[in-house]
Amino acid sequence: MATSTYLSNPVVTVNAVDLSDQCSAANLTRVIEALESTSFGKTARVYVGGLENSTLTLTMYNSFAATETYATLAALVGTSTTVTIKPTSAATSATNPISSLVGCYLETLPIVNAALGALDTIDIVLTGGVYSVATS
Amino acid sequence: MIYTIASTKLGIIGDPYVPADGINVAALLSGGFIVEQSTPKPKKPAKTSTEPNEEI
Repeated sequence: MATSTYLSNPVVTVNAVDLSDQCSAANLTRVIEALESTSFGKTARVYVGGLENSTLTLTMYNSFAATETYATLAALVGTSTTVTIKPTSAATSATNPISSLVGCYLETLPIVNAALGALDTIDIVLTGGVYSVATS
Repeated sequence: MIYTIASTKLGIIGDPYVPADGINVAALLSGGFIVEQSTPKPKKPAKTSTEPNEEI
């Protein structure tokens, strides 16, 4: 039985900046929009592939320290950037592929998510861009 | 434009940085991750101490 267990060393970069030490969850979903092409005579709906619209959701600890979370993301809101993620920090390979979204868009950035006695965490969603995966 | 890495989050500090496709360089600059490296100006020619019509 094959499983993928993410322990301590996945690598996440946003705009080439390594934010692995501020990230606690990542969810990369490849989406290709479904365009309905059902016509008369069909007995079930059918679809064809449309534009790609993948998303990467990151849960991050918010840090206003120099060159940390806020410094990385503040100037990216409303712009396009590149994100990468791979399962471990080992060299990229067939068993440790690196996935990229080039040209994905950051629409919103939570600035403060404050709760008494809790760490400030934010969820950011990067949408669109060209998905690719490399094994070397 | 030549950039130099200024944060270990991006690489080795002091190394030249060549942005890959899709990287937002303005955001890296404003976040302090890279700095612009000024290109060296060409040196001015040395001044001659002789007058144009002076015989050497």
